[in-house]
Amino acid sequence: MIRASTKFTSTTDIERFAEALRGRAGRAPKVVRVCIGTGCAAKGSRRIYELFCEAAKRCGQDVRVDAKCVGCHGFCECGPIVVVEPGGIFYQRVEEPDVAEVFRETVLGGRVVQRLLYEDPGTGKKAEKADEIPFYKVQERIVLGNNGLIDPTKITDYIAEGGYSALAKVISSLTPEEVVSEVELSGLRGRGGGGFPTARKWRSCREAEGLPKYVICNGDEGDPGAFMDRSIMEGNPHSVIEGMLIGAYAIGSEQGYIYVRNEYPLAVEHLRTAILQAREMGLLGQNILGSPFSFDIRINRGGGAFVCGESTALMASLEGRPGEPRAKYIHTVESGFRGKPTNLNNVETWANIPQIINHGGEWFAGIGTKESKGTKVFSLVGKVKNTGLVEVPMGITLRRIVEEIGGGIAGGKRFKAVQTGGPSGGCIPAEHLDARVDFDELTKLGSMMGSGGMIVMDEDTCMVRVAKYFTNFLQKESCGKCTPCREGLSQMLYILERITKGEGEVGDVEELEGLADLLGGTALCALGKTAANPILSTIRYFRDEYDAHIKEKRCPAKECRGLFRYEIDPEACTACGICLKNCPADAITGEKKVPHVINQEKCTLCGMCWEKCPFTAVLKI
Amino acid sequence: MRKGKPLPTVTIDGCKVEVEKGETILDAAKKAGVWIPTLCYHPAVSSDASCRICMVELDRGDWRQLVTACNYPVRRDIVVYVSSEGAQQARRGVMELLLARAPDSQELKALAERMGVKETHYPKVTESQRNCILCGLCVQVCEEIIGQAAIGFAGRGVDRVVAAPFRQPSEDCIGCGACAAICPVGTIKVRIHEDEQEVEISPFKSRAKLLTCEECGAPIISMQVSEQALGKVEVNCEEFRERVRLCPKCRRSQTAALLKAANFCKKE
Repeated sequence: MIRASTKFTSTTDIERFAEALRGRAGRAPKVVRVCIGTGCAAKGSRRIYELFCEAAKRCGQDVRVDAKCVGCHGFCECGPIVVVEPGGIFYQRVEEPDVAEVFRETVLGGRVVQRLLYEDPGTGKKAEKADEIPFYKVQERIVLGNNGLIDPTKITDYIAEGGYSALAKVISSLTPEEVVSEVELSGLRGRGGGGFPTARKWRSCREAEGLPKYVICNGDEGDPGAFMDRSIMEGNPHSVIEGMLIGAYAIGSEQGYIYVRNEYPLAVEHLRTAILQAREMGLLGQNILGSPFSFDIRINRGGGAFVCGESTALMASLEGRPGEPRAKYIHTVESGFRGKPTNLNNVETWANIPQIINHGGEWFAGIGTKESKGTKVFSLVGKVKNTGLVEVPMGITLRRIVEEIGGGIAGGKRFKAVQTGGPSGGCIPAEHLDARVDFDELTKLGSMMGSGGMIVMDEDTCMVRVAKYFTNFLQKESCGKCTPCREGLSQMLYILERITKGEGEVGDVEELEGLADLLGGTALCALGKTAANPILSTIRYFRDEYDAHIKEKRCPAKECRGLFRYEIDPEACTACGICLKNCPADAITGEKKVPHVINQEKCTLCGMCWEKCPFTAVLKI
Repeated sequence: MRKGKPLPTVTIDGCKVEVEKGETILDAAKKAGVWIPTLCYHPAVSSDASCRICMVELDRGDWRQLVTACNYPVRRDIVVYVSSEGAQQARRGVMELLLARAPDSQELKALAERMGVKETHYPKVTESQRNCILCGLCVQVCEEIIGQAAIGFAGRGVDRVVAAPFRQPSEDCIGCGACAAICPVGTIKVRIHEDEQEVEISPFKSRAKLLTCEECGAPIISMQVSEQALGKVEVNCEEFRERVRLCPKCRRSQTAALLKAANFCKKE
């Protein structure tokens, strides 16, 4: 009998329950899945979901239709996304007026609405299913596999897809040591940025003296443009909980914490619901599945400080103190939260654990490269055609991510660089596009894996400004505890400000390198130690741009105001007079049928003429 | 020699010293007679290692790691370089950054000179409250030793300052002046307002009433400090309690008057 109040008391209960669920699922053959991930929700997918629900209610008893809201599909560029079963028809950019048509044609009639299908911009070929779209073809979705399939607010959906079977397996047939060995065999490394071997961390914590022991899930994802963990927490919260349960069993912990940003209200809500449901079903709490193992999870909402993603700062914040890091000469696995052995892993790391237990460590180790196993989720953003969340096997080249999955650079521009690893990462230029994406390769290139942000930049991006942007971000987010980070970043930002204003001096680059070196050696935490990476990597690969700014007072990408000028191309100018009318400084002169001219002395470089010209006759020079 | 495991040995610039397990590199350096500059370190309070001025190099085999001497616990035999080029460069770099922040502190200048740093080549880009370097010693002593926690850090990053809650004069401040005594750069000052018979801890603007000498009216100490001190000890001598209300000078002369009758002379 399937009831939400079912409480599991043994490990075999779950399998029986899952089978019963699958049997029941067969009775409603028609399912409409509406993505309510952040991207799609911002485009109004909630309303679309409601409309489908109403339509499903209206259609009567003879046809049973289930409308479901599901987690992020990853293809946020083309949201809102609606998938109709059977057939897995993948509709993109669905708007409210389309709902009736989709329901009538596809759900009831079984016909495909051609205009809502994804069309390959190159070939013009339409794709009916997700795996026919190049964006998905190259991906290997392990962690995100169930995102887009299950309703994150229903534990039954997760169990029907095989959820909590890994927990049952662990409790019924594996000792804690065997669990750690299985994870060790998989070669899983921390997905939060550091890339520390997960099994080694678990073992150290397991062997550390002191009770109680804590496990923590780090969901304080603060990198600009990154939303990997967010999508996992929002779209499949039970996978994180199951991972933590298995980790706690292996380590010997009875209390877990999920530290999640308060800026992720949906993630908080879904995690909270998931924890309540798991508790009700006996998957959290005392004597889980009838075993002596007890474990519970609490959610702690972060206040939005970037530095709280650092493990010791996170633990300080969790204890109720200001989120500031401390020296890690004694590791947190020995003395962490409340001075007790604490194992902290990132959301994505935890979400990988059930898969490793279900399919075996060897299977996981078969994916990826020698030192970096498995897959990694990246949030691909910036100037690519297809932005979104992608999960790829480790070792894939950057080129495949940018060109095949991302679809290349938007607007016919040229690729310039890709920034990986968030604010502490670096920019990788076109000549290294064939580099393989794994922990060590990216570090060699002066960047890092980080938590998986990937920002693509085109030729119109000024790399000095990019360095300035990230330095500014880190200077604002520095906790200010240690001298090098607080003072050094301010000094570096001051120099970068001068360079982008055209006040750079010869020797500034060397000064930046010196400060970067000092910061890398003496800063207290990883935020400070890696803070100079954006500066160092842009100097390494785009030194000529720094020199152009400093020596020639010129911005090659024409982004730094004052380091380029506007001119009117006399050939393209039709003397329409729009620029003349809009110029607030009266710097443009011209008459009917005579190409207009900008008086450089009067020009304030506001860019109004460049914006307003309908014939792109105003050029940046 | 004690039984059990032998004590870990620290080799500092070639000089070997044994330390108790858990002692820091700084402790070892003191034993070895090697000077390491410190600012945010004080033996009375826990080490925060926030100023980063005590950087030394730790031998890791094929590479050297910069660590802070004041809180790196020695757990096994280690080799440390204090006067190596890398360590000196790191310490001088940090000092230059601090000098740029607090250019007018004489105490900081003196330490810089001892470290061989004549001046900083960085401009002043962060605002400091009267040359405060945010070492945090005042905050720690107020919380850990005095037990008042009247001041703390406010703001983040470059906006970080030491302040009382809401940057208002604190009611928790007892005017003991421990923060001023421990401040390594002379930011915090104790000011006596004779007219109001109050002590002010500047720059926090916190004030406390002063106990004045019953004899001569000279200010002695903050009333709350005196009360707290008396509360912490058990005194069954009423005379002692009375004596506390006298300034040191009057206390001496009263004691002398009492002892007048007695006769003191050297024993043969």
